[in-house]
Amino acid sequence: MMGLIRVFLFAALGLTVVYWLLAIYSRSTERERLEKKWDAGPPEGAPDRDAFIEAGMAKYERSLRRKLIWLVYIVPLTVVAIIIYFVNVQ
Amino acid sequence: MWRYIKWGFRITVVLAVFLFLHYTLPQHSIVRVTGTFNRLTTVGANSMFYASPDAGTAEGTLTRDIRFIETVRANDKVIVFRNEDTGLIWPPYFKYDSSNLQAEAGNLRSDKANPQWVSVTHYGWRVPFLSIYPNAVAVKAVAGPDVRIIPWVNIVVLTFLAIAALMVRRMWLQFRERMLDPVAQDVAEAWDEVEDRGEAVAGRARGIWGRFIDWLGTFRGKPRR
Repeated sequence: MMGLIRVFLFAALGLTVVYWLLAIYSRSTERERLEKKWDAGPPEGAPDRDAFIEAGMAKYERSLRRKLIWLVYIVPLTVVAIIIYFVNVQ
Repeated sequence: MWRYIKWGFRITVVLAVFLFLHYTLPQHSIVRVTGTFNRLTTVGANSMFYASPDAGTAEGTLTRDIRFIETVRANDKVIVFRNEDTGLIWPPYFKYDSSNLQAEAGNLRSDKANPQWVSVTHYGWRVPFLSIYPNAVAVKAVAGPDVRIIPWVNIVVLTFLAIAALMVRRMWLQFRERMLDPVAQDVAEAWDEVEDRGEAVAGRARGIWGRFIDWLGTFRGKPRR
């Protein structure tokens, strides 16, 4: 039982690190995309560069892509469950 | 010299990764099961290649009953597998059904006259010198000794690892481009500034010092500049 708790603890820790790294990476690419979009030619009606980027980032934080990073937790647990099933059930 | 060290290091890393994957990833052997038995085994210095003590079949002792499966390949060479639970983390086979596997293997036993070919999925190595055995994970009856088995698990795992490695590389490059390079640029600019200021100070110092030297020079009759 202690072993199981330890496994969950370490898995949670490791996956959290992966989650943060992916979240930072994804945010960084999104910001870069917005900057390049502005630099290529500001869209009409947009006030200034910073406001444009901040608005884009706020939209990103609510986007599906941002939420898909939660798969970092879901996929490994699912895979482990599938492996346990197929290895142990005849 | 340095080049040899660098290449030696690279080759060692690649070799270690290869050996690690070769040990851990599943392989299939087409064999005939000739015997299944338990043997009291003392696990010592080679315990790294046996089930960890928290696994169901190990239970924390160095001397334990380990299940073995004796098999013969089509070329009459033998392979002996051990059959142990894998424990909680590594290797991640999550195998808890060693007893069932032993029963299945016993059920598939056959002799040379009436062969029943079996595909044994296993990981690990047989090294007689170290007394280590590959761990059987699953057995499945197959039609003959020549059936082709597509290693789907290996394909999926290696593809995933390759994608993960590329992803790590991309993340590092992104981090360098967005975080390190701007800082390095700032540092370079700051350094230029420091150098400029340093030169200015040096120039001023040269002024005071130079005037002092000139003044000293006047004692020896040199004219002031």
